[in-house]
This record gives sequence, structure tokens and C-alpha cells, in this order.
Amino acid sequence: MRWILSFLLLAFLATVQAVSSAGYKLLVVLEELADKSKYSKYLGDLEARGFSISYESPKSDKVALFTLGERAWDHVLILPPKAKGLGPLLTPKLLLDFINAGGNILVALSASQPTPSGLISLLLELDIHIPTDRSALVIDHFNYDTLSAAEKHDVVLVPRPDAIRPDVKNFFKGDGKGGEAIAFPRPVAQTLGNASPLLTPLIRAPRSAYSYSPKDDVDSVEDPFAVGQQLSLITTMQARNSARFTVVGSSELLEDTWFDAKVKRSVGMNGAPAGNEFKTSNQAFAKEVTGWTFKETGVLKVGQIEHHLNETGSEIVSNPKIYRVKNNVSYSIELSEYSWDKWIPFTPPTGDIVQLEFSMLSPFHRLPLKVAETTLTSTIYTTSFKLPDQHGIFNFKVNYKRPFYTNVEEKNTVTVRHFAHDEWPRSWVITGAWPWIAGIGATVTGWVAFVGLWLWSKPVPLKGAKGGKKNL
Amino acid sequence: MRFSSLLPSALVLGAGIAEAASGWNFDEAIISVSAKGAAGAAGAFKDKLSDHVPLSKPVTLGQTETLKIILTATENGEPKRPHQAFLLLRDQDTGLEETFPLQTKESGKGKVDFATLKSQKDLPIQLLTSSQPLRATLLLASFGSTQAFANHVFNLDIQTDPNVAKPKYEKPLRYGQLGEINHIFKADPKSGPVIISLLFTVAVVAAVPILFGSWVLLGANLSHLPKATAAAPVSHSLFFSSILGMEGIFFLYYYNWSLFEMLPVAGVIGLVTFLSGSKALSEVQSRRLAGER
Repeated sequence: MRWILSFLLLAFLATVQAVSSAGYKLLVVLEELADKSKYSKYLGDLEARGFSISYESPKSDKVALFTLGERAWDHVLILPPKAKGLGPLLTPKLLLDFINAGGNILVALSASQPTPSGLISLLLELDIHIPTDRSALVIDHFNYDTLSAAEKHDVVLVPRPDAIRPDVKNFFKGDGKGGEAIAFPRPVAQTLGNASPLLTPLIRAPRSAYSYSPKDDVDSVEDPFAVGQQLSLITTMQARNSARFTVVGSSELLEDTWFDAKVKRSVGMNGAPAGNEFKTSNQAFAKEVTGWTFKETGVLKVGQIEHHLNETGSEIVSNPKIYRVKNNVSYSIELSEYSWDKWIPFTPPTGDIVQLEFSMLSPFHRLPLKVAETTLTSTIYTTSFKLPDQHGIFNFKVNYKRPFYTNVEEKNTVTVRHFAHDEWPRSWVITGAWPWIAGIGATVTGWVAFVGLWLWSKPVPLKGAKGGKKNL
Repeated sequence: MRFSSLLPSALVLGAGIAEAASGWNFDEAIISVSAKGAAGAAGAFKDKLSDHVPLSKPVTLGQTETLKIILTATENGEPKRPHQAFLLLRDQDTGLEETFPLQTKESGKGKVDFATLKSQKDLPIQLLTSSQPLRATLLLASFGSTQAFANHVFNLDIQTDPNVAKPKYEKPLRYGQLGEINHIFKADPKSGPVIISLLFTVAVVAAVPILFGSWVLLGANLSHLPKATAAAPVSHSLFFSSILGMEGIFFLYYYNWSLFEMLPVAGVIGLVTFLSGSKALSEVQSRRLAGER
């Protein structure tokens, strides 16, 4: 009996451990509970990873994102509702407040169910634009699934995404072997504003794809909403507080049917012939996208920060409040990365480095931090440098912001004082001072000799003057 | 050798033609570049596009010129209007691609014409500043199982006016690694040449023997020393050594004493100087009054 209990306890601990770094409370906003069965595999995966899921209808009064002013859920998943709008407890403002309070949101859109206007204004607020025609969808005549969409070409097959830049880590490449495809049935296109560094397209449409409205563009498309790689099929936004927001263009991607579906590529743009039937990678990819959104991957944690004087002969005092200009100083910071269920040492992707700034208003130094030591759960980065010859209040600042990683912004303030009067080189070391020091010596010698003469000199008769001199 | 390399390409070509006949394609595609307001003027560029080979020379597009393509799209050899008719322009430096949907016009006799009017104003800045000609790809596709058409048809060389400043492209902010900054320290203060310092030091030090020498020449002596010490031995020795002591204190203050170490000692020595000095100087005065000075 007892061993069963302990086994249960162990199993419970295991599930509790295998959970996101940002909490396990997940709210799924779903219009009809019957729809749950459509997503059973996806939601089952989430539960298996330790999320405790509550299901609510968008109009329900229990859907509140906040209770007594505190965030009630850690994560929210909004599946496309059938109704035109979301309820009064899911207004764009409340959703934004939820993000500002650190909650993560995953929104799935669907071309077959018009996107509620509340969601559209939320997306607009974040500079994500979707077509004004609510039924517009993305099609591609060169990358469609010939089994399910031979006529309409509205199931777009997209390969696993490449890293958006060579120096950015790709969390969504699967095992990296290639040859996989993700099926996007009837996706809703998104275009992104160019101004914000917080927005990142996770998956772009292929070159030949375009968004069209089945109502207006019947014969031919002349003024498409957007085309080619300008279309984002999955968009991510990571707020300044590292809360994550993801828009998945096709909610059907998450459905059981497409987790198992077999697909067959059409003839591609380069004339590559159609291949064989194969299974979609939707399940693994959905896990990666959801895991990223709900902070199971790409989360950074700062451990210990330490800085000290690095002069020969000085004793090491950790984190002093004050330094002098031109002191040699060492700085180290400990960084960990969360990966699904554990903290691992953080290593930046090839081509990227962690940098330390030493700044007063603007950086005086911006130096690369090098790996000094790797522990089981963290990497310790360190650097040594000479403080600038400017006194004032300075910050040791590590500002590591990268797409898909949570923001690291660590500031440690220290005072940098100028030289004290007795820390300068002595005057005899300065060659330019030698004539002046010699001058003082000469004056002192002359003065002492003069005092002796004044006291003890006997007047002598001046030559040529009669009767001697000075008989005072 | 030759044959073996030629044979597959001939096969591929054959396959391409066979495919072209069964899918989407185009007829009588004419590309022309003309200056604004002078359409069809002599000297304007005009050529025919081929569906499997790109034009051998890049098409040049000047500052004020417009590019026009007129073609008839065909499905399985029959003129038909495709759903997608795009011209893709790709920057070969960056891989950035911009798409231009062609304007379709339905004319009679089952013929479908396409025309696109492109001037440099329609192109994004990034493409204007490309160092290589843009690669133009034509897409003709529609629903159903008919094979879509996509081929590289020509290269477009953008000629910018050298008199007009090139538009500047400002990169938007993206998070990433920033440039390294190393503080530039102010130069340390430096003394002048050592030789000059030494020269003047020697000159200053040499002034002391010159001073002593000239005093001796003028008859300075210490002949009254025995007389003075005989008359007031304590006060004379104390007075002179207290003056020496005071100089010693000044030296120690310069070397490593603080003001608070120096002041009490200087006070004591000063008192000694004052007391012994009044005695010693009275003795000097007595010698003067005795007419010995």
C-alpha cells in the first residue's frame, strides 16, 4: 500500500516538475465544450506536460482574467469562437492588461470562423494586421497538399522554419533533419509592422503564396492583401516584460485530424516533382510553438552577479559600492536557460555573444563576456577591464535582448570616484618638477647659510677704503 | 564525354516543353520600356519573352521610364485568365523579394492581356539600392490540377540618376549583438624632455656655490663664532639648530607627515626659536653696540 502511495507521490512530483517556468494554470477559451474533442491530442499533450487546464466559453462570466486585481491564470489559449465577439471579460484592454501582468497568450485564428473584432483590435494594438475581409485565406498554387486540397489549394505545406537570422536560435526546427512539412489548412494571413523589435514572424508563407478573399477575388487576384514572404502564418510578440503572445494563423493546424494527416506535396516552383505521401509534423511543431509561448523554452534566468577590484595586492571584496577611476575590475554573471522541464547552462547561438556595458547615461565600455565556468544548471560569464577615467555614478549593465529569448536586463550601480590627493605620483617622480625641487633646496641652503653669516660674520675692511669698513 | 553531358540536358529541355504544353503558359509576351510621355517612341526597348529561357541581356529601367509587359496567358494552350499572375522581383544580394500582381484585362476573342506598369517609384528602396540586376520571375497559376507556371524570365537593371542622391535605407531596430566599445582614455600627463629638466636643475643647484663663492669674495666669514658661543653658548646653539630643525620639519611634511603631525612639533620648535633667538640676537646686538660689527 505504502509503495503505491510513494509511487503516486513521485509521479505527482514528476508532473509538477515537468511544467513551464511561468506556472501551470492554463485557461482555454473555447466556445463549445464539444469542440474539445477536435483538439484532444493537442490538449492531451499540454496536460501531459503538467498544465492544469480550465475550459471556459468566451461569454462565460467565469472567464475573468483577473481576480481581485491579480492575474488568475498563467497562460491563456484562445481558440476561434463561432460568435462574432468575445465576451465582456475578454476585451482587448483586459487581454493587454493580462500581458502587462506577465501572462502568456496563444491565439488561434481561422478563415472559416470570422475573427472577433475584439481580437482584431488587440492585434492592431500590437501592429499585427490581418485582412479586412474576415474570410480571406492564404493559398499557394505551388505548395499545397494534393490529397486534401487538389482543387482549392488552401492547405499550404510549409517546411520547418529557418532561423530568422544566423545569430538567432531556432527553437522550431524539430530534429533538424529537414524534409518535414507543416500543414496550414486555410490559414489567416498576418502582416507585421516594421517598427517594433518585439514582433517576430515565426513562420512565413512560401514565396508564391498569397492571401485572397473568396468573395471578391473570384476570377483573378489583382490587389491582394499581401503576398509571398511578407505573409506571416505564425507571429510572435514578446513584450518588454517577457510575456509572450503568439498568433497561429490556422487553428486547424492544432486539430487531431491534421496531427495524423498524410499529405502529398504539389509540384513546386522549381519544378520539383511531387513526392510521396508522408505524415505532417504538426504535432511536434505545435508542441514547440506552444512550449515557447507558455515559457517552456527560451527562458533565461540570472543567477549570481559579482564584481570586485582586480588590482595586484588588493584583497578581494565582493560587490563594493565604490571604485576609483582607472581601477582594474572583474565582473561575472551566471545565466541559466529553461528547457522544457529543467534549467540548463545557457550558451548563446553561434555568432552571438553576451555583452557587458559599463555605462553612465551612455556606455563607456561594451565588452564581450567570456565563459569562465559551466555548472550543471548555469554558465558563468566573466570579463575584466579598466574603469574609464571619468568619475560619476556608473552601472554594470547586461542587456541581453534577443528574439525568442526572454529579456535579461541587469543593472548594478557603483560609484566611481576620482584620485584622492595622495594617490597621485609624488613630485620627485615627475621630471618636470626637478628644477623646482632643486630651487627649494637651494633657497633652504642659502637661508641657513645666511642665518649663520648674520649671526657670526665679522666685518672685514673694504679694499681701498680707509680705516676699514662698517664699524657700526 | 560531350554526348553524355548533353543528353540529360536535352531530356530536361524536352520534358520542360512537354510540361509547358500541358500546364499554364503564355503567348506573345512583349516587354517594353519607355520613357514617360513618349510611349512607343523610337529608341524604346522592346523584346519578346520566352517561357523557358530568360532574356540574355538585363532590361534596364531608367529614372523616368516605365516597364510594361503584355502577354496572353494560356491554360493547356487555350487563352485563359489565371487566378494568380505575379511578377516577382528578387534582390540577389539579400534575397528580398517584392511581388507585383499584373493587371488583367479581359478582351474579346478569348484573349487575355496582362499589363503592368512599373516605374522606379513603385519599387521599395531596398531593391533600388541593389548592386546586381533584379531577378524577375513570372508566376501564372490557378486552382485545379493544371500545372502552374513559374520561370525566371528576365533580369531587371535599375539605373539610378547619378545626379539624384540615392534614397537612404535606414535599418529598423532589431535586437541583436551591438558593436564593441572600448573607452578611449585621456593621455597621461607628460613631462618635457628630461635633458632640459636636468639642465635647469644643474643651473639652479650651481647657483648655491656661486652664491657662497661671491659671499666669500666679499669677505664673509664665521670669525665671531667662538666669541658668540663663549658669550651665549646655549642660546646660539639652540637658535641655530631650531632653525635647522624647522627646515627638517618642513621636509618631513613634504615627504610623509600630515598637517596634524607637523603642527605640534613646529609649535615646540617655534617656541624654542623664539626664546633662544631673543637671547642670541641680544648677544649679536651687544657685539654691535661694542662696535665689533
